[in-house]
Amino acid sequence: MSEPAILVDHLSLAYRIAKDRTGSMKEFAINLLKRQVKFEHLWALDDVSFEVAQGEVFAIVGPNGAGKSSLLKILAGVLPPTDGRVVVRGLLSPLIELSGGMNPEMTGRENIVLFGTLLGREPQVMRERVQPIAEWAELTDFLDHPVRNYSTGMASRLAFAIATDVKPEILIVDEVLSVGDEKFRRKSTKRIEQLIEEGATVVLVSHNLGTVTSMADRVMWLERGRIKMIGDPKEVVDAYRASV
Amino acid sequence: MTQLVYDSASPQHPLLDPFRNMWNKRGLIGLLVARDLTLRYKRSVLGVWWTILNPLLTTLIYWLVFQNIFGRQGEDGVPFVVYLLSGTLFVSTFFSQGVLACGTSLMGGRNILSKVRVPGEVFAVTASVAAAVNFAIGLVILAGIQLLQGPGIPWTIVLVPIPLLAMLMFVTGVGMLIASAAIHFYDVIDFVRVLLQLAVWMVPTFYPLDIIPDSLLPFIKINPLFSYLRVFRGFMYEGTFAPTWNFAYMGVSAVVALLLGVWVFSRSWRQAAVKM
Repeated sequence: MSEPAILVDHLSLAYRIAKDRTGSMKEFAINLLKRQVKFEHLWALDDVSFEVAQGEVFAIVGPNGAGKSSLLKILAGVLPPTDGRVVVRGLLSPLIELSGGMNPEMTGRENIVLFGTLLGREPQVMRERVQPIAEWAELTDFLDHPVRNYSTGMASRLAFAIATDVKPEILIVDEVLSVGDEKFRRKSTKRIEQLIEEGATVVLVSHNLGTVTSMADRVMWLERGRIKMIGDPKEVVDAYRASV
Repeated sequence: MTQLVYDSASPQHPLLDPFRNMWNKRGLIGLLVARDLTLRYKRSVLGVWWTILNPLLTTLIYWLVFQNIFGRQGEDGVPFVVYLLSGTLFVSTFFSQGVLACGTSLMGGRNILSKVRVPGEVFAVTASVAAAVNFAIGLVILAGIQLLQGPGIPWTIVLVPIPLLAMLMFVTGVGMLIASAAIHFYDVIDFVRVLLQLAVWMVPTFYPLDIIPDSLLPFIKINPLFSYLRVFRGFMYEGTFAPTWNFAYMGVSAVVALLLGVWVFSRSWRQAAVKM
């Protein structure tokens, strides 16, 4: 039995919001000294525990504000947990808010090198990957144009191509399958399926319950930061559907 | 077996881990520094040349005002423009701009920090290294002026990397402290802007030390920047070694600032993502 790719153990995340929103530092300092600052804790995630096995496709469903995106960001190592623990084993590629990850002032080429390096590769390796990535994204002609001249779909295509080129062992997917036109949607879905076949672990958040049922091995239903249900895709999705 | 493991509960050493991160991510830092230097002028016609033009034009203005209006002259065969440019480059371009860039680096990098797991130190170091590169470019101009206008270039110029490195440590440390505070209160940046102005005016960049009355001298000398500037000017064009206490003050303040900055920063930068 191999170790799980992802272990989430009694995870909680609180956004701390100062109650009487003191504007200035001076006021805040005075209030702090008087011990009058009250914080309100907004629990985005509340005591969440689960495991994802290697090679498993794990989907998360739930209404807006259930904590799905926060959970993905914790798995991606972007947000620190307030409480509890997260262990992620393997090279992780976050497919989160893809087009926004590109720097608009930089050219496609520069973005490939920088974004790939940000995902954990060396710049020299990425310089060699520029051509294949651009070819896959069908952007070879635009490589030396700044990304601000790209359409949103083109920018997402480029980001998706970079993030999946690093042969990630774990994919964190946030509604990415709805990116781009029909042709590219099919192409990117195929690429994810190929990565899954090669043994990648996938955690995906989607509002498209059809995709969830067909792709996932297991589904977790989050509601107000708590696990409502976890298990067989069809059962969980049916129960979730019945609740909305 | 997979080797890459992210464990949110793994203990982080507040000093060792940040330095390890900086070293491991040096390729990324290099890319980000290059981006920093070129992106600023990407939409302009002259492009990167602005990094040279900027300090040059600033110096020209100072020179016009001080030499021609106030009639200030250089001393001991050192043209005023050399005194002036060495001061503004080191104190304004390197220290002041570097600290500000470093202090706002987490805000500037939030687009990346909110999507990809990257140590926050990377952004702080990028900002201070970029300031150092800007300074180094300015040094080339300064050396050119020294050749044309005097006093030439002494052999001690090969030692300039010493004050440069010390300043880099100092800027990184102070900048990281400010960045840590700015996570909680953005007002800190405006406050720091004013403080920086005071700190810069309190070192003799464009006025000679001898116009300062004896009663005020301690206030000038207590400013660590004074020691940095003295060491730097000694190496750059005077061909002399500054008094030992200047070296000691420079070295100690650089190390203390860097360690303190890194220690505070490593405990606080992760909160930036939650605040954003």
